[in-house]
Order: sequence, then structure tokens, then C-alpha cells
Amino acid sequence: MAAFDYAPAIVLLPFLSFLVSVGVAVSGRDLLPKGGALPGIAATAGSFLLSVWMFLTVSGGQYYDETIYTWAAVEGSFELTFGLLIDPLSAMMLVIVTLIATLVHVFSLGYMNDDGQTGLPRYYAGLGLFTASMLGFVVADNLLMAFMFFELVGLCSYLLIGFWFREAGPPSAAKKAFLVTRFGDYFFLIGVVAVFATFGTSQFAGAEAFPVLAEEVLLGEASANTFGFAPQTWFTIVGLLVLGGVVGKSAQFPLHTWLPDAMEGPTPVSALIHAATMVAAGVYLVARMYGFYALTPTTLAIIAFIGGFTALFAATMGVVKREIKQVLAYSTISQYGYMMLALGSGGYIAATFHLMTHAFFKALLFLGAGSVIIAMHHNEDMWDMGNLKEKMPVTYATFLAGSLALAGIFPFSGFWSKDEVLYEALVHGLGGLGGGEAEGALLLGAWAMGLLAVFFTGFYTFRMVFLTFHGESRSDTARNPHGVGWNVKGPLAVLGVLAVVAGFVNMVPVAKLTGAEIEFLHKWLEHGPAGLTSEHYTELTHEFAHYTAGTLAGGELGTALISGGVSLALALAGVGLAHVLYNVPEPTEHTDKLGGIKTLLYNNYYQDEYQVWLATGLTLPVSRAADKFDQGVVDGVVNGVSSVSLFSGSRVKQLQTGVVSNYAMLLTLGLTVLLVVFGLLGGWF
Amino acid sequence: MLLQSQLPNSLALAPVLVLALTALLLLVVDSIDPDSTNSAALAGISVVGALTSLGFAGWFLSAGTGQVSTGGGISLYGEALVVDGMALFFMAIFASVTAMVAIGSYDYLRGKPHQAEFYTLVMFAATGMGLMAAANSLATAFVALELASLPSYALVAFLKKNRGSVEAGLKYFLIGAVSSAVFVFGISLVYAATGSMVFSDVAEALNGTEFVGVAGLGVLMIAGGFAFKTASVPFHFWAPEAYEGAPAPISAFLSSASKAAGFAVAFRVFTEAFALSAIPAGIDWVLLFQILAVVTMTLGNFAAATQENVKRMLAYSSIGHAGYALIGLAALSAGSAQNGNVMGASMAHLLVYGFMNTGAFLFIALTEHWDIGRRFEDFNGLGSQAPVACAAMTVFMFSLAGLPPFGGFFSKYFLFAGAIGAGFWWLAAVGAVNSALSLFYYSRVVKAIWIEDPSGEFQITSKPIGLYAAVMIAALGTLVLLPGFGPVIEMAQTAATALFA
Repeated sequence: MAAFDYAPAIVLLPFLSFLVSVGVAVSGRDLLPKGGALPGIAATAGSFLLSVWMFLTVSGGQYYDETIYTWAAVEGSFELTFGLLIDPLSAMMLVIVTLIATLVHVFSLGYMNDDGQTGLPRYYAGLGLFTASMLGFVVADNLLMAFMFFELVGLCSYLLIGFWFREAGPPSAAKKAFLVTRFGDYFFLIGVVAVFATFGTSQFAGAEAFPVLAEEVLLGEASANTFGFAPQTWFTIVGLLVLGGVVGKSAQFPLHTWLPDAMEGPTPVSALIHAATMVAAGVYLVARMYGFYALTPTTLAIIAFIGGFTALFAATMGVVKREIKQVLAYSTISQYGYMMLALGSGGYIAATFHLMTHAFFKALLFLGAGSVIIAMHHNEDMWDMGNLKEKMPVTYATFLAGSLALAGIFPFSGFWSKDEVLYEALVHGLGGLGGGEAEGALLLGAWAMGLLAVFFTGFYTFRMVFLTFHGESRSDTARNPHGVGWNVKGPLAVLGVLAVVAGFVNMVPVAKLTGAEIEFLHKWLEHGPAGLTSEHYTELTHEFAHYTAGTLAGGELGTALISGGVSLALALAGVGLAHVLYNVPEPTEHTDKLGGIKTLLYNNYYQDEYQVWLATGLTLPVSRAADKFDQGVVDGVVNGVSSVSLFSGSRVKQLQTGVVSNYAMLLTLGLTVLLVVFGLLGGWF
Repeated sequence: MLLQSQLPNSLALAPVLVLALTALLLLVVDSIDPDSTNSAALAGISVVGALTSLGFAGWFLSAGTGQVSTGGGISLYGEALVVDGMALFFMAIFASVTAMVAIGSYDYLRGKPHQAEFYTLVMFAATGMGLMAAANSLATAFVALELASLPSYALVAFLKKNRGSVEAGLKYFLIGAVSSAVFVFGISLVYAATGSMVFSDVAEALNGTEFVGVAGLGVLMIAGGFAFKTASVPFHFWAPEAYEGAPAPISAFLSSASKAAGFAVAFRVFTEAFALSAIPAGIDWVLLFQILAVVTMTLGNFAAATQENVKRMLAYSSIGHAGYALIGLAALSAGSAQNGNVMGASMAHLLVYGFMNTGAFLFIALTEHWDIGRRFEDFNGLGSQAPVACAAMTVFMFSLAGLPPFGGFFSKYFLFAGAIGAGFWWLAAVGAVNSALSLFYYSRVVKAIWIEDPSGEFQITSKPIGLYAAVMIAALGTLVLLPGFGPVIEMAQTAATALFA
């Protein structure tokens, strides 16, 4: 178990780089070359190597679940601990996060340092803490620890989105991200407390883990405090409470509004937020405690429906955006919708798969966009670009690979994972419908939305590609772009390769077609500590949520092929439409053809407006009323009590006349009153 | 067991005997050198005497002398006195306060005449308090109470040239005389009804007595005598005047040790002589103490809130604290298993109070030594001049208010928790409301010394070492009693539980 002794170092190394950068930032002097980038790169690279070691060890069939530190213990009740859980899921996530964090650090050399930005130690301190928080979240072995690191991730995103705090936009965007996710986290916190109150533990793994206890309660083998509800109902409530945090962090409808604004942050930060940390945290949390969610069909159906809806909803908004990062922002919301859809439809592996491929191709797209932005002197408007493929071939090639993956074009990575997501939703929806379950219809509805979103995804992705890289240059900067260095191209190349090949680890349709044993991810997630394997989850969804696989024509293989074919056709249709409309030398805006929908889309379905209205029109009056109540009633009572006491105090003071014979009289009177009262009460006379 | 095997039983009173001997020694010193103003020698003898007494009390407490583990209380002189855990616990409180007061007086009395008499009177009063804690018969209780009171009257009037001091002494004496009359009349009535003075015999005779009325009058009047000693309503009138007029170390002594002595003897009388298991149903003294507790804490806190003079504010706050400590008698019920816990919590509160209240009055002594005035405004900005002493005063104030992380927090917490555990949640609620109110006037002091700008120039020319040392010891005690509260409360509750056995 030697490898696992070094597991804490994965989290601590980036934290150390954070401390170093903070020290430099506080000193106010330029103590480190590159403004503190090198410690960050060294730390994340070290974490990456350690993570790979963990990955190899886990693949050898060893797992790690240890409590490191108990920071509060209530005798006979519960313990609050920090601990590490390294199983196939977290080992895989560790590799993804550390790899992308390392690449983002390297890329930052080009994006921040070469650009002559100031405040770099602060920037690298933020990146270090961000990475450390996410890694701590990934390896957390209990829900409370996960919550704490979840919050740290939120804090870091606030700090980094608001990095350019002297401008108007970033601080506001940072606040919005913080407040909106905080709104979700509020429910998460109640959920954590509810888990403790119900099970007395929040461990993810082991015989005493709360998903295991919940399962036993539902089977009637154990009991728990369910606060008067039926266990199934109560677990649904708890699951939904925790889901609040997930919806906030993973930017699902209706708490997705913070994410597009978060584009105000530096682009490498966006890459980190979208691909590997903040947004991924929400989905990862559901996967982490999937054994709990799998027990409650209602929660699963809600997750699936939110996911499918968000996928379509966000994709339609991405269609009309002018700025390259805005398009990517909506694509992120949409893609995490797919992951939620998969989780809700029992596709634990599919969700994990899409989480992985998306991490690679979305990081790639953001870094590619960052490269374009460097070249364009920080102009992000796609209508000012055009024909950049001639000037920046490396960026173009890798960006294209990422776009093909995002659009879900065969054989790029996104195709395989998105295909599996939709396949899982379809078969379980069909199975549910066949079995007469109400959730079946819900799943099919979510699947239909997800499928429709494929078309939009293909369209907006390639609208972005064509506007940015094809056609004629539409501005002077686009004709004379700024060059980019190795530190930009290197990470792009690495991610470009991954965006192409990452899908090959789990080619389910090919496996079904040929019968070859190439579903490596399935194999990977099948093993693990008891209760944390994909096989166990499948049993749970089958047993408790009654998920069964239904088929279309042609049995399992036929369904897989039909599903894959339809989604590929839709994606190609989207790409084709974009090609027709925008892959011309002088593209024009076609948004007017949308009529009234255009305004609706430009305004993002008025989501911000209604949330602002909720804040100003609803919350503010309620707060005012509460304030009135506080000022008038609560303070009034308090002030009243104090006036009464001060008034009676001064009366008492007057009683103390200073004349000793008065004292003697009052004393005697008091005694007499007491004597009479007690005499009467006690019947002495 | 230690004591029984190694020392004669009569030495169980050693903590008190040492105090008496110290007083006599001081008299000897005085007769050799009548005009001595050698404060160091006199204060030194007193401090050594008090510390020796404390040492004995501590040793006996830890050795288990007179406690259940070694066969229960040691009764002496034909059951006139008894030494048990509670007696020793209170003796430790008296000795600690006496030591701090003696150290503080070293500077306070510098250059004043009759110093030997001062220390002698303090020692005799402390002896009386120790005897009060050990009294096992109404006769000894009365004598001990007078032994504690008479020197106190003289001490309050010690500043003979100061009109306030003399006036306070006279008032204290007159109210004391009335109260003593009530007390001794009560004793005579109880004797008339029971035919005995010894507590256990009184309890036996009360059980099923036909003279309920006579006994009831007696019990109530005896309670009046204790109310005087503890400065509880309606026998409290002397307290604000006496505490304000007396030399500040004596205010500290009276409001901490003398008050605790009143509680010591009250606890024993009402658990042994008028035990709930033996008392006739017509004599509901628990209700009496509930009334006294609520009225006393409310009156004390309300009056303290409107004071302009810090020392007088502390005097009223001391009345308020008597109300809290009365919960130890007010939250009892016959046969309840919680009785020992409540009374033990009250004892522990008196211990903590002994440190924090003594410290606060010694801080006042310090300001009187500097001659900077007595009102809140006069303390403005003192923090910048004497930061260490002011930090200590802040500790005392917050601890008196019952804020964590100071000793006063735990003692109040256990007291209120004990009351709730015994089913008297409303007593705890009244106590909590009063505590919240008390924060108002305690924080006024803190605000004045740290936040307000100085209103005038201070003439702080000296840093009196004795007063500083005494204040520091009190502050240290207040702080150490937070981590060290576990053993203290355990000891107090064990000792109190033994009384109900």
C-alpha cells in the first residue's frame, strides 16, 4: 500500500504552491521568476505523476479508504473526519484534474505572463488553491468533507473570476457566481445535516456508509431516523437537498445563470472551471454518492429531466451568441446537462465517460479560444475574426478536433460518450415505459430533448468554427494576429490528441458489433470497493428504481446502432446547416430570420431578468418585512425590556435613600410580608 | 483516611485554626511594635497564614478528609462543628480571597495607621467564615456568623477620616444588628419547637412536629439572617452603601468571601436541619428561596444598570450574583437526584465568583490608589495608560457577565443547566435574561477603558506591585478556572451530594 501513503500529497502539493504564491504576493516583491508560475507547474505536475501512480495502483486491484484525521467526535453519536477514498472513480478523476490543471498552468504562461499582466502571484495562488480544493473534493471519503472542499472550490472560483477586479464586469460576475452557487449550496448544507441526522455518518464507502445504510433501511434490515416520513420519501427529500448544490455548481437549470457571466475571468481559469473543477464537481458528487441516488426513482427521474432540459435549453441559447467564450459557456451548460441525463437514467458509466471526454475537449476548446483571444488582442467578438486558420494552423487544427468532439462527430471522443448517454436514456426510458412506470415517460422526454440538443450543438459549434477560422478576415487585428508561443501550442497539442482518442476507451457500439472486449471504462468501473462498483449501481437502479433495458427494432445491437446513427445524423445536419450559412467568404448574420425568438434567445429566455426580479421583487420586500419585524418587534421588545429595566432600576435606586432607618423599616416590612404570606400559605396561624 | 490515620481528628479544622492563629500572631506583632507601619511584614504574615490555610484545605480536599470516600464528615466538639467536603470547599474559597485581599491591601494601606488591626480583623472575620462553613448547630452558626460580622463592621469603617467609610460602617452595623436580632429570634423559635440546636436533632424533631407555625416562623427568620449575610432582598440594603464606602479590598472581601460564607451556612442548615425529607409540608422554604432568588437577581441587575459609579455598580452586581447563587437552594425538590448537582453548581459559581469579583474590586482599589475618580467616565481611556490591569478588568467583567471563554461562563452554565435538569427551567430563564441584561453594564466598563477617549489627564505615577499582583492572581484564577472547571464542579457536586445522602 506504499503508493497510498503519498495520496495526501496530491492535494497538498498544489496547496503548497498556493502558500508560496501567497507569500510572494504578500511580500509585494518579484521574488519568483514568471510571477509564481513555476511552483504551480511543478506542484500540479507532481500531483499528476502521483495521480498516475494511484491510477496504476488502483488498476492493480487495490483501493484506499482511510480516515486521516478526526476533528470532532461526539461519543456514541457521530464523528466528523477528514479521510481519503481512492477507488476507480476518484483515481480517474484525479488524473483528469491534475492533467488539466498542469496544462492550464503552462498555458497561463502564454496567456497571462507573456501578456504582461500584473498581480500574477495572486493569480497563481488562486489557481493553486483552486486545484487543491478540487483534488480534496475528489478524494473526500465523506459528504461533510466533500461539502467543505466544494465550498472552497466556490470561493476560489469567486477569487479567480473576479481576478481583474478593477474593471466593472469581473467583480460583478464573481459575485453572481458566488451567490447563485451559494443558493444551491444552502440546500446542500441542509442535506449534509440531514444525512448526519438520519444515518449518523456521511461516509461514502464501507459497510457503515450512508448509501449502504439507506439500502438496508429500504430493505427493512435496519432503521434510521426518517423524521416521520416513509424512508423512500425521506431519502428522496435528502437526495434533492444535496442535489441543490449539484444544480448550482454544475450550472443546471435554473441555477445556470452564473456560468456565462463567469466568462469575465481569465480564459485559462474558464478552462479549469468548465473542464475539471467547479462545474465538474457537481456531477462528480452525484456519481460519488450514486449508491444513494440509485435508491430513489423520483430523484433519478428529476435528475434526468433537469439534465435533458438543460442540455436543450442551453444549446438553443448558444446559437445566437457573438462572443466565442459565450458560445463555449452555453455549450458547457448543455454538456453537463447530458451528464445529468445519463446519471438520472441509470447510466453511471456513460456519465463518467462523458465527464472524462468533455473534460478534455472542453479544456481544449477553452485554451484554443484563449489562443485566439491572445491573437486578437483580447477581442472576443467572432464577427471581428475570420480566416484565422491561415495564421494559426496549430490552434485551428486542435480547435477543430475539439469542435468535432463537442459536436459528436464520429470518431471523435464526444461522439462515443454522448452516444452512450443517449443510448442509456433511450433504453431505460423504453424499459420503463414497457414496464408501465411513470418515470419511463419522463426519461423518454428527457432523451428526446437531449437528442434534439445534438442538432443545436452541431450547429453552434461549427458556426463558431466557421466564423472564427474560415472566410475572410473581418478586422485589422484578424489580418495581423498576435503570435502565440510554445506554452500555448503545447497544451493544445496534448489536449487535441486526447480529444481525438479519449473516446476509444469505451466504444460500446463497436464492442457490440464485433463482440470484442474493448469496453475498457466499463471494466475499469466494474471493480472497486464493495458498494461502489458500476455493477452494484446497476443492481440498485434495477431493484429500487425498476430500471430495465428496453429495445427498439433489432434487439440490443440494433437499438445501439439506431441510437448512434440518429444522433450522428442530427449532429451532421447541424454542422451542415452551419456550413451552408456561415462557411462563406463574407458571412452575414442570419439571426433576424428567427423573428421574435431572436430577442428571446439574445436575452437568454429572460432567466437573468426573472432571477433579478426574484431578488428585487420578492426577496427584497420579504427582507424588508423581516427587517421591519426585526427593527420593530424584536428590537422593540429588546429596547422595551431595557427601558423598563432602566426605569425600574432608577426606581430601585430611589428606594436606596441613604437613610438607615428607612432601610430598617423596609427590611422589617419585607420580612413581615414574607412571614404573613408563608404563614397563610402554610397554615401556621 | 489519610487524616484519620496520621493526624488527630481535631486537626481537621486546621484551615480555620491557622487563620485564627495568624490573627493572634498579628496581635502579638502589634503589641510588640504598636505603631508599626511595616506593611510588608504584616501583609506577609497574613498572606502566609491565608496560603497555609488554603494549603490545608486543598490537601484535605484532595486527600478526601471528611468526605464520603473516607467515611463521611468528621464531627467535633459534641457535634457543634463538622468538617466535610463542603466545609473544606468553602474554606478554600475564603482562604483564596483572604490571600488576594491581603496582597492587595499591602499597597492600599501604605502610610495609613492601624495596619496591624486591619489585618487582624480580616483574619478574625475569615476565621468566622470558616467556622460558619463548619457549623453543625444553630448556636455555633450564630456565633460564627457574629464572629465574621463584627470585624467586618469595623473594617468597613476603617478609613476613620473618610465620612463615606464611617457612615457605611455605621449603617452596616445597624442593619446587621436588626438582622442578627431576627436571626437569633428565629433560632429561639426553632429551639422552642424542636428542643435542640444540633442540625440532625432539629431535623429529627421537625419530622412530624405539632408546632408547625412556630417552627415555620423560626425557619423563615433564620433564612432572613442568611439573607443579610448573602446580601439578598430584602436584607440587602446595607450592601450598596457598605461596598461603596468601605476600603476597596474590604469590599472585595465582603462581597466575595462573606457572601460565600452566608451561603455555606445556609446550604448546611437547609439541607441538614430543615432537610426537605424531614420538614413539615407547611414550611415551604424552597418557594421562599425561589422568590428571593428571582427578586434578588432582578433587583440587583436592574439597579446595577443605572449606576454611574463603578464601585456601586459592582455592589449591585454582587447582589445580582447572590440571586444566581440562591438557585442552589431554590431549585431543590424532595428526593430529587439533581439536588446535589444544583447545589454543587452554586458552590462552584461562588468559587469562580470569589476570583472574578475580588479581582474587580481590587481593580477599583487600584483606581482609588491612583485617585482617578469613581464614575464610568473617569475610566475613559484608562486602557492606554495601564493596559495590563485593564486587560485583567476586561476578563473580570466578561467573566461576571458569563461570557466564554472565562470561568464565569462555565459556572453559570452549570448552574442554569442544573436548574433545568432539576425541572426549574423558568429559574434558569430568569437567570439567563438577567445575565443578558448584566452584559450591558459590565460592557460599559470595558467600553470606557478601551474605546472611549480619555476625558482628562491621568496622574498615574506608580504601579503598586501588591495590587497588581493581586489583580493578576485573580485574573489568572478566572482564566484557569475555565480549563480547570471539570475537577472543581466534580468536587463541588460530590460534596453537595453528600449533604443530601
